[in-house]
Amino acid sequence: MPIAENDIKRISRPALNAMENAYVPSIVKGFGTTVRHFFTSFGQSKLPVVGKRKTTQALQYPEERKEHTAPDARGMQVSNFRGVHRLNRDEEGRVKCVACMMCPTICPANCIHIEAGESPWDDREKYPVKFEIDELRCIFCGMCEEACPVDAIELTPEYDITGYSRQEMVFDKNKLLHVYDVTIDKKPM
Amino acid sequence: MESILDAIFPIGPQFFVGVIVAVIVIHLVLATVGILVYFERKISAYIQDRIGPNRVGFDLGLPLLQKLFRGFGFWGLGQSLADGLKFILKEDYRPPQTDKILFSLAPMLSVIPALIGWAVIPWGGVIAIDPIVIGGREFVSGGDAVVGAAAVDIGFIFLLAVAALSVYGMTLGGWASNNKYSFLGGLRASAGMISYEIPMGLCILVVVLTAGTVGPNAIVEAQVAGSGVWFIVAHPLAALLFYACTLAEGNRAPFDNAECEQELVGGWHTEYSSMRFALFFLAEYAHLITGSAFFVLLFLGGYHLPFVPGLQPEDTGLLAALLKFTVFFGKVIFMIVLAMFIRWTIPRLRYDQMMKLCWNAMIPLSIALLVAVATVKFLRIDSVVVFILVNLVLTGAGMVLFPKLPVANVNKRIPLAGSRFSPIPGHAVQTAPSGSIARSESPVPEHSSGIISAH
Repeated sequence: MPIAENDIKRISRPALNAMENAYVPSIVKGFGTTVRHFFTSFGQSKLPVVGKRKTTQALQYPEERKEHTAPDARGMQVSNFRGVHRLNRDEEGRVKCVACMMCPTICPANCIHIEAGESPWDDREKYPVKFEIDELRCIFCGMCEEACPVDAIELTPEYDITGYSRQEMVFDKNKLLHVYDVTIDKKPM
Repeated sequence: MESILDAIFPIGPQFFVGVIVAVIVIHLVLATVGILVYFERKISAYIQDRIGPNRVGFDLGLPLLQKLFRGFGFWGLGQSLADGLKFILKEDYRPPQTDKILFSLAPMLSVIPALIGWAVIPWGGVIAIDPIVIGGREFVSGGDAVVGAAAVDIGFIFLLAVAALSVYGMTLGGWASNNKYSFLGGLRASAGMISYEIPMGLCILVVVLTAGTVGPNAIVEAQVAGSGVWFIVAHPLAALLFYACTLAEGNRAPFDNAECEQELVGGWHTEYSSMRFALFFLAEYAHLITGSAFFVLLFLGGYHLPFVPGLQPEDTGLLAALLKFTVFFGKVIFMIVLAMFIRWTIPRLRYDQMMKLCWNAMIPLSIALLVAVATVKFLRIDSVVVFILVNLVLTGAGMVLFPKLPVANVNKRIPLAGSRFSPIPGHAVQTAPSGSIARSESPVPEHSSGIISAH
């Protein structure tokens, strides 16, 4: 539908008054804002306190982390965070996954690759011979976690993962099980 | 042998002092650039509610030093050192199809004028030198000498000439890079330099008229002795205009259109990397220091502080010279920090706004100021009060008059009748490419009538 002329409200830019047109008074006013921010931030450094209000929200990252702060104080909700994946183990330490292919089906980024094989155990028919997740392709949406019928795949609060190559960032089954071993204390099943 | 020594010695006191000061100042200023980079980053961070560099100390990654400093970061003071090391170790890349000689020459050409400019600045006023006699031979004859690399009587003209040379570096760098963005940056730098030289020169003329001299040291003495106040008090308008011009000349915000990231990537130094880029960077800060020293000299009384004994022109001892040097340098640092605060206060002007500010506002104002001050001088009614009145009246007149001036219709879209943006009713407008495969002629719809208004 075209826009009719009477639908358009034309407004013009408000004219500057003499003080604003002279630049300098406005610049001085802006300068005050700059100086205020400088001194409030400066006061929060380890140097003598000048300002009172807290303005700097920066974290000293490797020492201070989001998970050290409460969620309502701009911290991190550890139980809900969607970080790197893990493959859960059952009570006997076996991989919990039944290779039902729900997660690679739902995955919007196509980053999960499973090769199923006949299960050596009696309680299920299939198990994953290969289970690979490309952490660089993953968008950490958590759909795999939602889709899993046996709660085998889960996202953990670990987010600072690095690698020297792209291949290294494709996590295989052993690595994903290892992530479970490392994070089980942080995020119980 | 004796005759050669007789021919060389005794050297004059100015030469003796000049060499020492030149060596000290060049090292001091180059080291200050490193600290200024740290200051700039830290101040920017605090103004933007960040923390800024606070990790890089001086352990250089060596385990021994790490153990010695116990992880102490020195508040990030090592950052400039790390930056410098990085610049040296980076690949020195020159793109193909650049002008080989000019590409290498441009960074040098921008650093050298900035370094020469300090030669005429009287950092510490006048020092009285006693004759230095070693083994019966007089090596340095006694006398008064200016604590600067050279006592040039036409100091300001020299400084203006040298400062204007620096733009060659930028323009040549932009041209030699064989890159459109660099070229535009270089053009902008030279256009800005040409424009802002005019009000700058006029403001200097105002000061020269008031002081009655062009010697740098004599102008400081005129601010102390003659009218008795610094020229920033006597000529606030001239000081303001001059400071804006020094920012523009040094390519500082809000006039740094030559390296405007949004439009020109990196401006004239887009293609530069490694130490060549570092030289440009150094030149920028060196210019900032030169401009600030210039301002301190003209308007802030140079080395002088009122009511402080030891900082008056008649004090010529070594201690007084050192004290004056410190005060001068402190004032320069203050002006630089002010420029850093201004960088985060005023957004960068659009290019046409920058030109308009200069040609429509600053040049008429400074011409009017010059004429008014010359008239006052001619009528021999020059006193501080009259000068302040003249400045205030002109400022007020500018504030009242400039908004009343007709606004030039620049930078607005000009409707081209018959184009698809302002169609003529009833006429067919071609909206698609005119290739034989994809051709579509669409008539103008009924509701769009008349030429679409500009803007």
